[in-house]
Amino acid sequence: MLRAKWWKVLSFVLLLYTCTYGFVVKVPRLDDRMQESIRNFFFHVPMWFGMMILFLVSLIYAVKYLRSGNPVHDVYSMSYASIGLLFGTLGIITGAFWANYQWGSPWVGDPKQNGAAIALLIYFAYFVLRGSLLDMEKRARLSAVYNVFSFFMLFPTLWILPRLTESLHPGGQGSEGNPGVNGKDMSANMRMVFYPAVIGWTLLGVWISTLRIRIQLLKLKQEGLL
Amino acid sequence: MIQLLQSTAANKSIMLQDGKIYLVMTIVCIILTGLFLYVASLDKKISQLEK
Repeated sequence: MLRAKWWKVLSFVLLLYTCTYGFVVKVPRLDDRMQESIRNFFFHVPMWFGMMILFLVSLIYAVKYLRSGNPVHDVYSMSYASIGLLFGTLGIITGAFWANYQWGSPWVGDPKQNGAAIALLIYFAYFVLRGSLLDMEKRARLSAVYNVFSFFMLFPTLWILPRLTESLHPGGQGSEGNPGVNGKDMSANMRMVFYPAVIGWTLLGVWISTLRIRIQLLKLKQEGLL
Repeated sequence: MIQLLQSTAANKSIMLQDGKIYLVMTIVCIILTGLFLYVASLDKKISQLEK
């Protein structure tokens, strides 16, 4: 599976589609506040969807490790968390850049901005924790437990609190349902590019994670630890 | 589509039309392809190391 080609080619095709059609597809112009920048939905938002999926996979392998004690599961869990963090960082940087022109300043104290920053800091701490533990088994076990905690912290920071209060992001107080999939927050045209974009960017994230996993496994084998 | 081809016939490069959006699109595609080629080459190198 890690060495299979089909899903990597699929990722490239989907992203090529996203990066071409995403620039020319007709987008709604409601009140001329967003103008063409609404196309960022095909780039900035999939970073977050990708991060969430990668963190979910990381969680699954963390739990697998706790049940099996197999260090390979720990390698998988750590790798997916690191690329999830990469996507989240890209998401927050692109978000701040966009906010600077859309909302007037790169950081406006929007609840989702703050929530996302907190979520990322919690996952950065996962790596700080790992770095502080020298014993391989202890490191794997403690960080797996912390991973579970970190994932559940995504709930209040990303999905609950930003939706309860007034927010500049879609989905704030007064909206109905999940802004990503309720069908009301995005035109049908845009959804035709958005869903393939999410899949494409996520598959790219998975590909990079698997490369990281393979390098780590090679390293551990070389050092005789596997 | 037809307008694109007609303007190209009038010697205006596609890259200069429609607010130069196709220029941006092509640049992004070049970056994307470059990144994918890099990741694919990493993949190949690792596969060789694994043998």
